[in-house]
Amino acid sequence: MKPREFLAHSGRQFGTLVGLFALCAVLWALTPHFLTVSNLLNVAQQTSINAVIAVGLTFVIISGGIDLSVGSLVAFSGVVTASLLQRAVPVPLALLAGLVTGLACGLVNGLLITYGRLPPFIATLGLMSVARGGALLYTDGRPVSGFDEEFRWLATGEVLRVPVPVVIMIVVYVIAHFVLRRTPFGRYLFAIGGNEEAALLSGVRVRLHKTVVYGVCGLLSALAAVMLTARLNSAQPIAGINYELDAIAATVIGGTSLLGGQGSVVGTLIGALIMGVLRNGLNLLGVSSFIQQVVIGAVIILAVLLDTAFKRPKR
Amino acid sequence: MKTHRFLTLSLITGGFALIAGCNRTEPTSAASVAGATAGKPTVALVVKTLNNPFFLDMQKGAEEAARRFGVNLVVQAADREIDVERQMQIIENLIERKVAALCITPSGSREIVPVIVKANQVGIPVVIVDTRADEKALVAAGGKIATFIGSDNYDGGKLAGAFVAEKLGGKGHLAVLEGIPGHETGDARLRGFREAVAKFPGLKIVVSQPANWERDQGFNVFQNMLQSNPTVTALFACNDLMALGAIEAIASAGKAGKIVVVGFDAQPEARAAITKGTMSATVAQFASRMGSTAVENAVKLLAGEKIADFTPVAIELIK
Repeated sequence: MKPREFLAHSGRQFGTLVGLFALCAVLWALTPHFLTVSNLLNVAQQTSINAVIAVGLTFVIISGGIDLSVGSLVAFSGVVTASLLQRAVPVPLALLAGLVTGLACGLVNGLLITYGRLPPFIATLGLMSVARGGALLYTDGRPVSGFDEEFRWLATGEVLRVPVPVVIMIVVYVIAHFVLRRTPFGRYLFAIGGNEEAALLSGVRVRLHKTVVYGVCGLLSALAAVMLTARLNSAQPIAGINYELDAIAATVIGGTSLLGGQGSVVGTLIGALIMGVLRNGLNLLGVSSFIQQVVIGAVIILAVLLDTAFKRPKR
Repeated sequence: MKTHRFLTLSLITGGFALIAGCNRTEPTSAASVAGATAGKPTVALVVKTLNNPFFLDMQKGAEEAARRFGVNLVVQAADREIDVERQMQIIENLIERKVAALCITPSGSREIVPVIVKANQVGIPVVIVDTRADEKALVAAGGKIATFIGSDNYDGGKLAGAFVAEKLGGKGHLAVLEGIPGHETGDARLRGFREAVAKFPGLKIVVSQPANWERDQGFNVFQNMLQSNPTVTALFACNDLMALGAIEAIASAGKAGKIVVVGFDAQPEARAAITKGTMSATVAQFASRMGSTAVENAVKLLAGEKIADFTPVAIELIK
């Protein structure tokens, strides 16, 4: 069973990757502006924020849950970091405070779900509203903007000619892939998502790991918040609306099953890139904004249809 | 199994190519692809959203000017007015496409600044339309814009305030529906309105809350305002959409005709409401003229002509 599952996984990823390349090929044929180094870096940079949020969501979804609060956590952690920066708190401390805010909110999600026995949908829906309201209260509805170059380096800087947001994205994915595939925590997530009862009976500390996974998701949302704040040179309390949907889309296009127990971060990265490339390509081609929404929705539906069609014979 | 997968994926990409291709040949689309009409420079107009009639008017004006001056025009916008990040992505992608000039209505006055700097770096001139970019943030980031084209929203707010004062005889309780906090446009309208009203000691703004430029929020927020402040006799909404929402709330509270409602933008629906008597006045901004002036200025810039730093577009009260 294990080798078969492995095949299924790599087959799914391979398929998505082919999809990404085919998309790139089509764009390359249609516009000369697509396949240039600067545009590809541009796409990677535009994808990075969604991609980082989607990692956390992939973890949560693999464990059989869902997190709708990520967009609001982006806003909340963003304004916390931004307001500290404006009070001349040193950059590392402000960053840490933002990340801790996200982590703490995520852990609250986790505790509500495990010890409070709330369905993940309800708990995170609640926190989505609480965190959004918190961000609005904290800032009185106004954006907090204007930061030092030191902080903006997170968006404008380069490491070996690669933009910092892209570097952050790559580091996050390498770590996440390792955690998911090589650590007990990662394996437990699959076990819990596959069959929670069985995992519990085989001695997995289900509550602990489920709580932690929402914490991780909150932490990654906060990291995305920092990246977004640096990019816009501003933190808005209304930032991140609908980001949960983009992240869920990247995750499911990447082949992670919403039912839990199956998925990979590599797939999610490809999924996020497909969305980024699509949006970029449609802009380059000058396709109307309305048609863009139709196309992106259609791609999500097709990707999941394909996933279902692939899984059916096994059952 | 794998062949099945290949097939579906090629369907996805094929479908995408088809849609892109269809759009390419669509004659009504403003978004003609560079190369289809080679040789002409491409000017891009990026507005806040295309589901607001105000920006559709702007688009129409820009299209008319593009035809007149023989340039290609691309019009793009985010799905939602408040999505500053998405607007930034769109502009970055247009920069990659190497458009000749960018006309932008910023979704966020400060959030737009980083991408203006990016356009500066590759030498694409930026024309700002309707909503100003934040002056201080722009200077701090070393960004430069070619010109600003828009109405003086502050004056518009003052017009609205003076009208309300006259209509109420200088006495009464006022309500205000604000736009998204931190927006230059809305803030200027509010400042103008407050200043005009402050001259009359009998006028008091008893409640003022944001409804984020949206019609449904205008309805809900004003319905709540009426609950808590039944003495309100006039409403100033920072745009027509919120005013139109509020009118429905007034009707459902059975107060139709008893509250003076003043909007902003003079959209066709608002003009109709004024004729019908459900709305009292609206401040007219000429969005289509803004669009055409923007393109005209972009063309002048590309021809190396000098243009003014600020081109005001007339504003007037319609009652």
